Amino acid sequence: MPTTYSPIQSTFFDAPNALNSPVVKKRDGSYTPYTPERIAHAVYKAGRAVGIDDFAYAGQVTAAVTAKFMGSEEACVTEIQTLVENELMEGPYKEMARAYIEYRHDRDVAREKVSKLNHEIKGLIQESNEALLNENANKDARVISTQRDLLAGIIAKHYAKQFLLPQDIVAAHESGDIHYHDLDYAPFFPMFNCMLVDLSGMLTKGFKMGNAEIETPRSIATATAVTAQIIAQVASHIYGGTTINRIDETLAPYVTTSYEKHLATAKEWNIKDVEDYAMKQTEKECYNAFQSLEYEVNTLHTSNGQTPFVTFGFGLGEDWQSRLIQKSMLQNRIAGLGKRHKTPVFPKLVFGIKEGLNRNLGDPNYDIKQLALECATKRMYPDILNYDQTVQVTGSFKFPMGCRSFLGRYESDGKEIHEGRNNLGVVSLNLPRIAIEAGRDETRFYEILKERLKLARRALDTRIARLDGVKARVAPILYMEGACGIRLKADDPVSNLFKNGRASISLGYIGLHETVNALYGTDEHVFDSDMLREKAFSIVKELKKAVNRWKNETGYGFSLYSTPSENLCDRFCGLDLKKFGQIEGVTDKGYYTNSFHLDVEKKVNPYQKIDFEKIYPAEASGGFICYGEYPNMQHNVEALENVWDYSYDRIPYYGTNTPIDECYECGYTGEFSCTSDGFTCPSCGNHDPNKASVTRRVCGYLGNPDTRPFNSGKQEEVKRRTKHL
Amino acid sequence: MNYHRYIDVDVVNGPGTRCTLFVSGCEHRCPGCYNASTWDPDSGHLFTPQILEQIIADLSDTNIKRRGLSLSGGDPMFPANCAEVLHIVREVKKRCPEKDIWLWTGYKIEDLSTEQKAIIDYIDVLVDGRFIQSLADPSLPFCGSSNQRVIDLSKTASTF
Repeated sequence: MPTTYSPIQSTFFDAPNALNSPVVKKRDGSYTPYTPERIAHAVYKAGRAVGIDDFAYAGQVTAAVTAKFMGSEEACVTEIQTLVENELMEGPYKEMARAYIEYRHDRDVAREKVSKLNHEIKGLIQESNEALLNENANKDARVISTQRDLLAGIIAKHYAKQFLLPQDIVAAHESGDIHYHDLDYAPFFPMFNCMLVDLSGMLTKGFKMGNAEIETPRSIATATAVTAQIIAQVASHIYGGTTINRIDETLAPYVTTSYEKHLATAKEWNIKDVEDYAMKQTEKECYNAFQSLEYEVNTLHTSNGQTPFVTFGFGLGEDWQSRLIQKSMLQNRIAGLGKRHKTPVFPKLVFGIKEGLNRNLGDPNYDIKQLALECATKRMYPDILNYDQTVQVTGSFKFPMGCRSFLGRYESDGKEIHEGRNNLGVVSLNLPRIAIEAGRDETRFYEILKERLKLARRALDTRIARLDGVKARVAPILYMEGACGIRLKADDPVSNLFKNGRASISLGYIGLHETVNALYGTDEHVFDSDMLREKAFSIVKELKKAVNRWKNETGYGFSLYSTPSENLCDRFCGLDLKKFGQIEGVTDKGYYTNSFHLDVEKKVNPYQKIDFEKIYPAEASGGFICYGEYPNMQHNVEALENVWDYSYDRIPYYGTNTPIDECYECGYTGEFSCTSDGFTCPSCGNHDPNKASVTRRVCGYLGNPDTRPFNSGKQEEVKRRTKHL
Repeated sequence: MNYHRYIDVDVVNGPGTRCTLFVSGCEHRCPGCYNASTWDPDSGHLFTPQILEQIIADLSDTNIKRRGLSLSGGDPMFPANCAEVLHIVREVKKRCPEKDIWLWTGYKIEDLSTEQKAIIDYIDVLVDGRFIQSLADPSLPFCGSSNQRVIDLSKTASTF
């Protein structure tokens, strides 16, 4: 206690014990003796802060407060503080009262934040925070290295909210007006979301990784091994998906070198049919190379504490080398992983379909489309990317980054460029909330939307600003060794890479279905009403208008992205349920519907679903996917092909959801029953995740919800999915 | 004749994308039948010429391409159904000659009556035989128990 306060002490509190003073209960629940000096000190300090130096007054206040507690056995800290406030407000120094109250408020906020941080860390250590543990179906939060990542995430998020982001954006994120995605990585770290790795540039020009100089591979086996290494490195430096665009064409040259090598061997050993030998050996090597790559991807563990989110886009190569790669990838996938032939959920496979190449009977690669169809009926992947629609909707052909993020067209020196480009991140709008707040008033809805858009725009600007002044050395693999399609020096700034539409930055949205329900009522289902379809579409068009405007204003590649909402479907709906209560067709299901998707409960056939959704990708050209729920199609590949063919002229990107669950107890294959408690074999009742393989589409990605449960909103959504046939 | 359900886009009953009609009426009453509610010939709704026109229109749709029509039930060969079913298959073959017709019946092809055989002339694939629960196998394509046969009549009709 500073000596300055001794006069007060001596005047009033010479013998506190004799007066039977109470014990004080602190915020953490512990007890401490009542110490009037502390009150006097705080009051005096508040006075000094506004230029009032009055010991005596501090003493008076303390005495008045103390008098009120005399005789009682226990007092709590907040009670004491409130009494002090009351006393001050009645006294002569109003500004002193204000200073005291404000200081207390700030302390409360800071204290709350620290205790929240501690609480979250405790939740992680004790594995009691279900939301954190199940937030990402691809992370096993019970593993130490993942826990290290989650711990870093908790702190990065906390720090960003407290010190890096504008407070109104933090408040809007926390209340659920918007969602600032991936706060556990950015803006604390200057990281971006997802990308198309310039694999071709890295392999042909060589690169340095860790302590090793990597030269151009001289066989397909080495090329895939190096590819796996690159993926591991890249995925540790970004927080979204890592895509290898057109992997078949990119790696085709290394099939040639393998073939030449085998040819030379055949000649050297006087093998009879040199070409036949070389081809057989090359086919075998290629199949094995892609098997290794698939195993590598599934055994990798990045510094983000997870198997990397990897997508392989393929299917458009026409030469025999590309064809061999395409076949190897599909055959490996059909075979499955390990001795139980489990369905892998990574890498995600996206198969390109193109008129004249593989779409129709008679096309040179039609056989590979048939293989892709077989694969989809057995392993769900590949999803398909229709060439012409993709070009029409996004301006050029490239595979999605991660599960559904699409870049626009970009030229450099008159050349169309895709490799090495990326997405800077997403901020999503809670559309249903705006509709609820508007109270069925459409004009009001668009007014609130306008305000939320401004907020989202400022939130997105923080993502851009965070990369300003960042140097290439923060992520050598991305900026110095070629993954981003460029070789900068360690101290070069990276921010120019993201300008002029080279990178995209995305406004996301969720729950268009619930938005329409909240705004126009549930008397008619949006599917059955042309008027409501038009209304729903207008909302998305309005969002598109905003991102186009931002793009024109800044030159940055703002795009509209249909948020996958793996976690967000549950979060937004939960927050709105708490805030607004149960609203029929809006907050009463426990989840919000994925972006523009048709309500999962609506019984329609896949053709009707495609027709319903086909207008949206052109608006949400920064990210989209459509999919349909199918019964087992292994006996009816032709019917699946019918739908794929139908999609070709209508939507760019389509996924097939089929029941491919397997019970290792009774041998059943088909669809496990999905209940709120988990997944059960319909044949023998087995629900032990160690004795089954359950695969479901989470968003654009697949997941194994039996071993890594979905959040409850997602589980409810999966439960309600109706078959489209 | 009554019918239970008409599915305009179906991928489960037969190959490719199809139209499927489940008719009412079946005398086999196989234990374990997945469609027992269709046994009573008076159940379901009356099959009207409008439904037939709907089927023809769907089969002729160029937007969603169908490979053909599937007739199931109930039993399309249930004696009281034969006249109406014969009319359906004749009309379909006349107006949509490129579409195939699959038919599921509990009778074995060797045991068909003259009336039932008349229908066969218009059928491409017949799946025949009762459902026998002890022989049930969910992995079989297009039938429920291993005694049932998927008979391609365009190839094998002459042998019966």
